[in-house]
Formats: sequence, structure tokens, C-alpha cells
Amino acid sequence: MEKLNNPSEFSLILKYALKDLSRNYHKISSIIVTLFISLFILSAIFTIEDSLKKELNDNAKALLGGDLEIDYNRNPANLDLVNQVKEFATVSQMIEFSTMLSTTGREKNKSLFTRIKTVDEKYPLYGNVVYEPIGAYERMQKEPYSILINESLSKTLNIKINEKVKVQDQNFTVIGIIKSVPDVSGFVAFGDWALAGKQTLEILKLNGIGSFLNYEYKVKFNEKDKTEEIEQRIEEIFKNDQKVKLRYPENSASGIKRIINNFSQFLSLVSISAMLIAGIGVANTLLSFINQNNMSIAVRKAIGFYSGNIKKLYYLQLFILLFIITVVAYGSSFLIVPIVDKYLSDGLGLNVYPVFSLLNFLKIFLVGLLVLVIFSIPTISSIDQVKASNLFRNVFQNLQFYYSKRSVVLSFVLLSILILLFTIGSEQPSYSLGYFAAFFICLIVFFLLSKLIIIFLKKFKSSPIISLKVSIKNITQTKSITPITVMSLGLGVTLLLTLALVGTNFQREIAKSIPDIAPDYFFVGIQKGEREKFEQGILNMDPNASIEIVPMVSSGIVKINGIDPNTYIKPDNDSYWVIGSERRSSWAENVPEDNLILEGEWWDLSKPDQLQISLDAKVAKDFNILLGDIFTLNVYGREIEGKVVNFREVDYRDLSINFAMLFNPRFAKKIPHEYLATAKFNSNKFDETEMLEIMPSLSMIKIADYLSKVTDVLNKVFIAVTLISAITIVIGLIVISSAIMVQGKVKEYQNLVFKILGFSKKQIIFSSLIEFVIIFKSVILIAVFFAVIGSKFIMENIFELVWMFDFKILIYLGLSIGFVTLVLILLTNLKYLNPKVYPLIRNQ
Amino acid sequence: MSTLLKLKKINLKYKTGKDSINVLKNIDLNIKKKETVSVVGESGSGKTSLIMLIGGLEKPNSGKIIFRNQEITGLSEDEVSEIRKKNIGIIFQSFYLIPNYTAVENVALTLELNNFKNPEKEAKILLDRFGLKHRFNNLPSQLSGGEQQRVAIARAIAMKPELILADEPTGNLDTENSIMIANILFRYVKEEGSSLIMVTHDTKLADKAKRKIKIKDGKIK
Repeated sequence: MEKLNNPSEFSLILKYALKDLSRNYHKISSIIVTLFISLFILSAIFTIEDSLKKELNDNAKALLGGDLEIDYNRNPANLDLVNQVKEFATVSQMIEFSTMLSTTGREKNKSLFTRIKTVDEKYPLYGNVVYEPIGAYERMQKEPYSILINESLSKTLNIKINEKVKVQDQNFTVIGIIKSVPDVSGFVAFGDWALAGKQTLEILKLNGIGSFLNYEYKVKFNEKDKTEEIEQRIEEIFKNDQKVKLRYPENSASGIKRIINNFSQFLSLVSISAMLIAGIGVANTLLSFINQNNMSIAVRKAIGFYSGNIKKLYYLQLFILLFIITVVAYGSSFLIVPIVDKYLSDGLGLNVYPVFSLLNFLKIFLVGLLVLVIFSIPTISSIDQVKASNLFRNVFQNLQFYYSKRSVVLSFVLLSILILLFTIGSEQPSYSLGYFAAFFICLIVFFLLSKLIIIFLKKFKSSPIISLKVSIKNITQTKSITPITVMSLGLGVTLLLTLALVGTNFQREIAKSIPDIAPDYFFVGIQKGEREKFEQGILNMDPNASIEIVPMVSSGIVKINGIDPNTYIKPDNDSYWVIGSERRSSWAENVPEDNLILEGEWWDLSKPDQLQISLDAKVAKDFNILLGDIFTLNVYGREIEGKVVNFREVDYRDLSINFAMLFNPRFAKKIPHEYLATAKFNSNKFDETEMLEIMPSLSMIKIADYLSKVTDVLNKVFIAVTLISAITIVIGLIVISSAIMVQGKVKEYQNLVFKILGFSKKQIIFSSLIEFVIIFKSVILIAVFFAVIGSKFIMENIFELVWMFDFKILIYLGLSIGFVTLVLILLTNLKYLNPKVYPLIRNQ
Repeated sequence: MSTLLKLKKINLKYKTGKDSINVLKNIDLNIKKKETVSVVGESGSGKTSLIMLIGGLEKPNSGKIIFRNQEITGLSEDEVSEIRKKNIGIIFQSFYLIPNYTAVENVALTLELNNFKNPEKEAKILLDRFGLKHRFNNLPSQLSGGEQQRVAIARAIAMKPELILADEPTGNLDTENSIMIANILFRYVKEEGSSLIMVTHDTKLADKAKRKIKIKDGKIK
């Protein structure tokens, strides 16, 4: 016989790993299924996230609307400077505003607060506007009094093409419907909006701050020019213009990117939870698989295999299996992208395509590997317990999980790597860490609960009901699946109940604010001389309406203590919105009723010529502002310095009139201003269209409409999140059913003995039922406890909203999960109810 | 003939809870190369424990086991495995073939472990020699008891070990198969010059060995 000269031990192990895996994979099908589902979810999240980001990056210029954006925000542009740019680049002017758009010629006309974007003939500089019918967009550019509306607006107001609509006091013809525009990053993506030619501005003669006019200029460089040089040139032109902000493609869609990051972080945590629950099943199934191979392991040891090599053989099988599953799961995740693409192309005009990323594939594989190794260490280590000498005795002991100091330390290290992998680089690392901490606390508590149930039931022996006795025996026996059932079900149920409680609390919080505190309408665009006309118009329709009118001025914070705040306050600051663009501010003689002064004094009347500022306390905290700090404000192009004199507690959620900044009236009254009003009606007599007849430039925002839109979006988000989170329950159920199947032989044998002893099927089923009730009742109680703590923490500390216990949703969900689990347990047990007597009693 | 195996003052105890049982007491034994030895004795006398110790599958509480002039009692599990895979073949009463491997694969496993080229080809030659040409690709469950034991013997001798340990090799077989297995085993030992230590209750089989050792209460009589 010929021997190999330099044999590879690894190739031998690999050969046998492949051989064993190809013949035994059906015995570990539950490992394959649970791993596939959890890896598929993780792959789908990564793939969608990557595809979206790639689309956003690839189309950064289209999303921004140009190579560069000159944003004048609420200020009319310095056209001299803009014209200088036009000398070496293409510039497209874009002015957006919000106003009422109403139907005309109907018996009952409807109005809607609409964002209108006026564009010139150069728009879009990048990408395409998708619209119908053909030629409508070109007509809009040429024909005055023509407008294109988006699909949402068309549906909401039921407007057809060629129908007349009224914007302020002018009639426009709807000549087409827009499907999408390319520059969604700075524009309204959802909701109601319209596109009009630049001539519309002249037709409407817009100038009021209540119209929310927004001035932007998109710039496209000549192809031959060097980007950096042109950028520098433009920066040089605008360097002394405090009102302008230059935006670049890399900053485009930063809001969308942030949402994607947050969403994918949360979903990644859900999928890793599913993986960890699957890990419990992996450990159990693997132990059973190794127990089945007990003899083969002993034979291998007898013929000279090292114990370490046998362990390597099993690890390698898992590695190969994981690699195949990862390839399939990652490949399958590409099938999800077209579904996301359909949704996004309808909503945002974004087209996403599957993007293969080796890094993502390796990351998914690494996550799978870590989970698999962590949970298989105590199982595969049990191979050391197999003795070849057992072959002589014909007795094989049942292997148990084996924990050595080394394996415990290794598991801990690997678990830490896994946690770090999901924490570092995530949008909110502290939340990820908190989530993992909560997950493992729950895991330990559920494990202890299972032990407690066993200890308690062991003491509870004297029962007259035979089915109860059997179920207690099943729960308390040495190889009971109680710990696995309690842990895998408990974790899934806890996660689902927590999310459900957060969802219902969120919805209730939004819904309850409408009737209690909020006004029915917000009105903007009331000019200085129109105040009485407005009040009269409202009171004529509803004499009992309560109206609140406050002056309003548009101002931007240019400097804080002489320094541009944009240089040190980052966009991820909670209060960035205050400096991000111009804000409306107001003034008041007295402290507003619902605004408590937390620090400082109300106005110093002895200094009427000095601008005094009352600031939202949260903004002050976020920006590290102290009393006495000086703000330089830009008010209609004029820079005014003001001193912060007090901090107020402002609760924007009450939806009444609230301002981050209030000024001392003696100073502020001199500033040109208009009014902002709210009204709460006591009847249904208020008619929006009639009000627009009186004041055509008035804009009305119906709170209920907006809240219902927000609630609608939130509902969809929560349903999606809850459905995805339900995957943890699915994994948990697979783990439980596989644990039952692992016990199958014992169960079958036990049922045979029962059959011989005269037990009826009913009694056996009844014992399964009791077993389930005992376990599920305990699980649901602890899960509810954790869900209450978790949801309360999330609502009160993260969302800063009121939390309330929702018994109904817990009962509804608890019963649903319980029912599904019970059906699954009974179905899995069903095949063991009719054991064949002969093979079993002959030990075949 | 030179000595292949030497057991010096071997003691083996098993612990059962707080108590311990002396299974083997002060065993001294020498086995020469090419020698065939049968070990007989009542159930529980310590026969199987003796060959487990010789095979390095158990460690004695005291005493020395010297195999091929090397003391194996102090070696690690992996070191003993290394010696076993090259020099010791073991045959069990219950055959213990790997259930999802074919007859050829069961035999080839040993050869492959010892880095042989074309292990399956070699395995087939061996199985053919034992009249199992028609059973190459059958799983153990598709083989009769006699056939399974022939595959097990082929696996044990594949490496041409210097020592073969057989624990009741015919214990699970009918008379006809028992005779066939005994013939195969003894013919092989004779042809290849291996030593054989065989535990058996079968007196006819025991008589086939050159030397017969009787164990009673853990001692060689």
C-alpha cells in the first residue's frame, strides 16, 4: 500500500466534513431553517440599506438638483452674486412656497395647504421629472396659469387633468400629474405638492413670510471645469453673504440617510435577536445530533482519531453549512430589492437595484459564524465526554453541554465581538448597547424562570389528575425542553409585546392631543392690516370660535456670542433646527400661560431699546447657552444683537402657538411683521373656501388632517416594524418545535408505554395542554413585565411622551401568540401519538 | 519471538458513587509478537477492561503498559490515539460500523486516517478478500450480522496492525457466521503475522488461540 508523502490533516477533515454533511443535513434541518431565516432578514436589511445608499450616492447630484446648491432659505437672493455664478455655470432658480390650493366650480369646493415649487426652464439640471400626459411639463414652462400637481394632491382633492384650481385669488389649470421629481432631498417627498413655472411668482405677487417662501439656486458646472476650482470660486463670491448656505452633493439626502441608518440599526438588532434565539435552538439540535452520533464518535476515537480532530470535523460541518446558508440567504435578499424599489419609485422616485457587497457578505457570514460558534462551543465540547471504551460496554451516556473555563471565556469574547459589531458604527451606539443589555437580562431571567418552574413543580407531586402528573413529569424530567421553550418563546414574546405597547402608546398620544389641547386650524399669511378682517371673517362663521393671534417675524441666528453656530453645532444636535434655517419668532407682553420660566427674569422694561430674547430651555441646554449670552439675529437682512434674558419650558406637542424665541415687545413691535393665528371652533360652520374668498392669500393648516397623515405614516411604520419583529416569534416557534422533535424518540416511547398502560389519546393531549398552560402562563407574565418596563422606558425617556398600560393589546397579542404556539405544539406532538408497538418493544 | 506487549502490576478501579470496585488486580502479562491469546472468564471478571487498557482506551490506576518498548500509560489521549491508529486494530462484539458510511467507506476511514493513497481502492481489495465484493456500496443496515462483522474485521486489519484486540467477535452471530468469522480472523493473523488478544465466552473459539488466559475476580489465574 502506498502512503502519501505530505498528507494534509485538514484536507482529510474537510473531506469527511463534506461527506458527513451531505448525508446528515436532514437531521439538522431546524438549524438550517432558523439560520436561513435570521440570516435572510439580516441580509435583506444590509442589501436594502446598501442599495438605497448607493442609489442616494450615485444620484447625489440629482437629489441635490445640481453640482452645488445656493440656498438663501427665506431671504430673497442677492441676484448680483447669483448672476456672477451664471457667467461660468448654469444656474436654475427655484422658489418654493406654501399656500392654499382649492378646487373650483364644484358644489362643495375643497382646499388644501400645498407646497408649490416654481421652476425655470433649466430645471432639472440633473435627472428627470416623470409626469403625464406627454408635453405637460413643457407646457407648464410656457403657459401662464398652468400647474402640475402630484398624485397625492390629485387623489386627496379628486382633481382631474384640465380642471381649474384656485391658488390665492388666481385660477390655474391643472395640465398634468407629476409622478416624481429628481431632487427629493431638499423638497417635499410625501404629502401634497405641485410644480409651476417661474412666471407663477409674478402672477401671485408673493412676498409674505407666511407663504414660507424659500429661495434656492441650483448650479451645474461645465463639464470641462474642475469641480474643486468652481466650488472655491463660488465660495469666494458668497463669502461675505451671511444669508446664504452652500450645499454640496455629498450632503444631499442627509435626512433620508439618517432615517435609513436609524431604521436599519433597529432592524439589525431585531434580526440579531432572532439569530440569538435561533442559537438556542442550534445548541439544542446540535447536542441531539451529536448524541445520535455518539457511537460514530466513539468508533472514530477507537480507530485513532484525535478528539480535537473530531471536534474540528463538526465545526467544519457547521462552517460549510453556514457558508452555503449565507450564500443562499444573501442571494435571496436580492429578491426583496425589487419590492422596495416599487415602493420607493412610487413614493420618492428613487430606483434601487441589488448591490453585491463582499464586505456585507463577510459581515453577515461573520455574524452567523459568531452566533453559531458561541452556541456550539458547549455542545461540541461535549465530544470530549465520548469514550471509545463505551463501545465495549455497549452503553452510551447522554451527552450534556460542557462548559470549561476556556470555553466560557471564549464564548464571552465572541459575544463581545458580536455586540461590538452591531454597536460600533451604528447611528445610536448607546441604544444598541442598551438593547443588548436588555436582551441578555431577559435571557437570564427566562432561564432562571424555567429553573424555578421545574423546582416548584418537583415539589408539587400529589395530584389526583393523571394528565397533570404526566405534564409535571414532562416539565421536570432531566432532559426537559422547558428551559429552551421558556427562553426562546419568552424573548420573542417580550420583544413583540414591547413594540406593540410602544406603538399603541404612540398612536394614543398623537390622537389624544387633537381634542384636548390643539386648535382646529393654524392660519398663516395674515398681513399687518388684515388682522381685524381675519377675526371678523372667523367670527362671522362661528361667533363662539376661540381665536389666538400673535405677531410673527422671520429671523435667523447668525452668531452666538460672535461665533457662527453652524461651525460648532452639528446637524445631529436635537435643536439644530433652530439654527438650520430661519425661524418664526414672536413677542408677548406677558409670559405665555403654558410656558413656565425656568431661569432668568421676564422682560427688563427699563431697556426698551435693547432686544431681549426669551429662549426655549431645551434649546439653551442643547446649545450650552447661558443667561446673558448674545445672539446676532438676521431680521429681513438686518443684523440685530439681542441678549438672552430667560429660559422657558416649551412643549411643542400641545400644538398651540409656540416659539423657540420670544422677543421683548417694546423692541420687536418696530420690526415689520405679520400675524399667525389659531382657531378652535364650536361648530361645523367654518368653511375654508369661504374664508379664502375673504382673504385669498391666507394659508390654513387643518391640524386634524396633518395629524391623521402623521398617524397614518406612523401606523404603517409600526405595522412594518411589528411584522418584522414577529420573526423572533417565528424563530422561537421553530426552536420549540425542533426541541419537541429532538425529544421525539423519547416521546414516542413514552406514549407507547402510556398506550400499553391504557392511557387514552385524549389524556395524552390533555397532558400536553396542561404542560403548555403552565409554561406559557409563566412566560407571558414575565414577558408582560419586561414589555411594560421596556415600553415605559422607550416612551418616557426616548420619545418623552406619556406611557399608559394597554391591557387590550396585551390580551389580544398574548392570546394570539398562545394559540399559535399551542397549535404548533399539538401538531408537532401529533405524530408521536400513534407509536408502532412492534419496532419499539423489539428495540428496532 | 520478541515481546510486543508487557503489562506490569496493573490495577484498575471503577468508582461507583462513594465506593470503588477493583476490576483488575496486579495484572502481569507478556504478549509476544505473532502470538494469539484468548482471554476467558465469567462475566464481570475484568476481561473487557483488560483489552480496553491494552488498547489505551482506559488508563490504569497503577502499573505500566509497555507496547513496542514504549510505555503508553503516561501518554496523552492524542499520543495513544496515534499509536492505536497505526498499530492496534479493534474488533467489537456489536460491530460498530458507522451507520451512514458504506462498507467501503467504513474500511477506508482507517486507511485515510493514516494518509494512504487510494484508500477506497485498498478497502475494496480487503473486502473482496473477505467475500464482500457484492457489498461494497451497501450501508451497514443493509448487511447481515456476519457481513457487518467481516467489514469490521476489514476495518481493524486495514492498517496491518501488529496487535488485534477482539472483544467477543462472534458474540452476536449465529454458529455458521461465528465459524466463518473465526476462520477469517485466525487465517489473517497467521498470514500477516499479527498478534491477537481475543476476549470470548466461546470455548471452541478460545481453543483456537495458542495461549489461553483465564481471568477471575480481576486476577489472571
